[in-house]
Amino acid sequence: MSTQQTELKGTVKERAQLALNNDFLRQAVKFTTERLRSGKLKAAEEHGNWEEWRERGRQIRLHTIAHLDYYLGEFANNARENGVHVHFADTAQDAISIALQIAKAKEAKSAVKSKSMVTEEIHLNQALQSIDCEAIETDLGEYIIQLANETPSHIIIPAIHKNRYQIAELLSEDAGEQLPPETSVLAGYVRKKLREKFLQADIGVTGCNFAIAESGSIVLFENEGNARMVSTVPKTQITFMGMERIIPSWADLEVMATLLPRSATGQKLTVYMSGITGPKREEDGDGPEEMHIIILDNGRSLQLGDPEFQELLNCIRCGACLNACPVYRHIGGHAYGGTYSGPIGAVLTPALKKNVAEWDDIANASSLCGACYEACPVKIPLHDMLVSLRRRKVEAGHDHPLERVGMKGFGTVMSNVKVYHRALKLGKLGQKVVVRDGGIRTKIGPLKGWNSHRVAPSISKQLFREQYGELRSELDQQAKAADPAVAARMREWLTGRDGGASHE
Amino acid sequence: MSNARKDWLQQLDEASKQKQEQFLNGIAAKLQRPRMTQKPQRPLQGAPQFWEQFELGEVEKLEMFQRNFEAAGGYVLRAATLADASNIIVDKAVELKAMHVLRQDEQLLEQLGLEQAMPQVKVRSWNDDALEDWKARAAEADIGVVLADYAIAYTGSLALLSSKTKGRSVSLLPTLLFALVPRSSVVTRLGEVLQPLDELKRLPAGIHFVSGPSRSADIENDLTIGVHGPGIVYTIIIDEL
Repeated sequence: MSTQQTELKGTVKERAQLALNNDFLRQAVKFTTERLRSGKLKAAEEHGNWEEWRERGRQIRLHTIAHLDYYLGEFANNARENGVHVHFADTAQDAISIALQIAKAKEAKSAVKSKSMVTEEIHLNQALQSIDCEAIETDLGEYIIQLANETPSHIIIPAIHKNRYQIAELLSEDAGEQLPPETSVLAGYVRKKLREKFLQADIGVTGCNFAIAESGSIVLFENEGNARMVSTVPKTQITFMGMERIIPSWADLEVMATLLPRSATGQKLTVYMSGITGPKREEDGDGPEEMHIIILDNGRSLQLGDPEFQELLNCIRCGACLNACPVYRHIGGHAYGGTYSGPIGAVLTPALKKNVAEWDDIANASSLCGACYEACPVKIPLHDMLVSLRRRKVEAGHDHPLERVGMKGFGTVMSNVKVYHRALKLGKLGQKVVVRDGGIRTKIGPLKGWNSHRVAPSISKQLFREQYGELRSELDQQAKAADPAVAARMREWLTGRDGGASHE
Repeated sequence: MSNARKDWLQQLDEASKQKQEQFLNGIAAKLQRPRMTQKPQRPLQGAPQFWEQFELGEVEKLEMFQRNFEAAGGYVLRAATLADASNIIVDKAVELKAMHVLRQDEQLLEQLGLEQAMPQVKVRSWNDDALEDWKARAAEADIGVVLADYAIAYTGSLALLSSKTKGRSVSLLPTLLFALVPRSSVVTRLGEVLQPLDELKRLPAGIHFVSGPSRSADIENDLTIGVHGPGIVYTIIIDEL
């Protein structure tokens, strides 16, 4: 049982082709994202003053990240006071090596895991398998995905792409008996199976939604109760957290608890919100005896001090941008090829890896419509970041050579009136070969992409440029001075626009 | 814990403290300023100001808690006295043919007199015997009985703080959960419970907010109740307590 790393194969277009051809996936993703999105909108409206909460959430995140060295240090020191063993890991390999040391020292045979994107990011499961420690995902959706040997396709609903017949098949194989494709039976089977696993496991592995600097506590949001199981039953707990998960105080948690569940699923609060402060107290009857927190960088610090991307670290991993994104809703999570999908994944994956070339087509899997920004509970300007990413890609020379030739040609033609005029005339002559019914339908050369689904317009028989002289003289005869009041108003508008668009 | 293991953990901790300096210095360098060692000034903290003034009346508070908790699939009952609450629990246990009941080791819950009222049922009290395997007892329990520290109206949540006598497993492992709440412990906002935590010197190991039965929508968006935690959750609000 291992969640194999889905290797990045082909381009985002090819991977999307796989998704687009899968009718069920498309329907399921549409249905789920629509349900979550409307749930979020309803919850935000019902709560009221959503913009003020959003702005407050953004302020708290901005402040914490701007002083991250202080708050992270405060968190680590307080967690140690509580009896936690805190570790810092620069890379995925460092984090894995610490986790394996702990597991080996414990002679651990099995580890139960609650949902954690960080452990997906560092491929913890395979590492644990390699020392014969079974890693068991306990979130219902994650368990299903693990049985199927796949990776999550949605940050909140990881098995969004599977139907209950496929799930029944997977679970039947696991059970060694035929289970009916009924949700309650399937969930009941998983409850029973995992009960035993929780009680047997040597190690519990959790992620971390928020870490509270002032008390050294970690906070987990969940609906199933498996994160509580993992942090209550096994004797050793290992928590993985991205270094940016910090908030200063419990008072700040109220803002995050207001934004996160509403944005993720439309809930007022997830069924469980747990604040865990150190291992069990000496006198307590349950809770882990030993607790480790592994704090991971793995590319996150590359965003610090980068004015275009620092706000990426404000992300609270709610998935609202996925649900709002028209591209995600069509192609699903796997087409993005990384641990994180959707608009946040399109920016985060190349940002964390700092290898723009390899991920060069992911930033293009966006229509730049800005729906992700509108949906984001902490107002991360994702659409602006996608544009910056594309610009950096071009600046670094990772753009497509043909595209570069095209852009250069466009530049040459457009910057010289004579050349432009000549090109138009040539085009009028040349297009005669391909124009049918006033449109161009051929799929040769650069027209292939566009014309596969649409018809390109032909160049008009009588060009505007050719008519302009005539039009101009007609206008000159009729022209009167503009109403001075109107002119003044227009000038005023123009000066008002000088500041440019802001996302305040 | 063996000495070898203690030594090993100590080595890990020492290595980690050194690493911490390097890690935090790296962050400060990326932020293009010296390491920050003083607590930064904060112009804004916690919820927006208008929210801090939001306060429901007694009746509305109870109504809102009930509405939200029930919308999440839980049940809310009212009891005038502890004795009434006891009757509710006993009736349910008999109706569902419960065999094992586990309650927190608290005086008020002892006063429920569940042991005497249901001699046919094995009623245990959390962590009152150091030799017992309490996780196993919680896992086999049909019904868990806890006294919640707070109930929060706006989110429909119970707040449960752990201690020696208040196990985290009691509200998690049994199939059915009864949470008792004194009427005076129902508050309006989540912040009313969270903010005082900032003032505490040492927090309990587990602070759990519970807003209904365990649930999942992971299979075809079909809502399933009781995936890992209790599938049935009753809150009993007690007037005189």
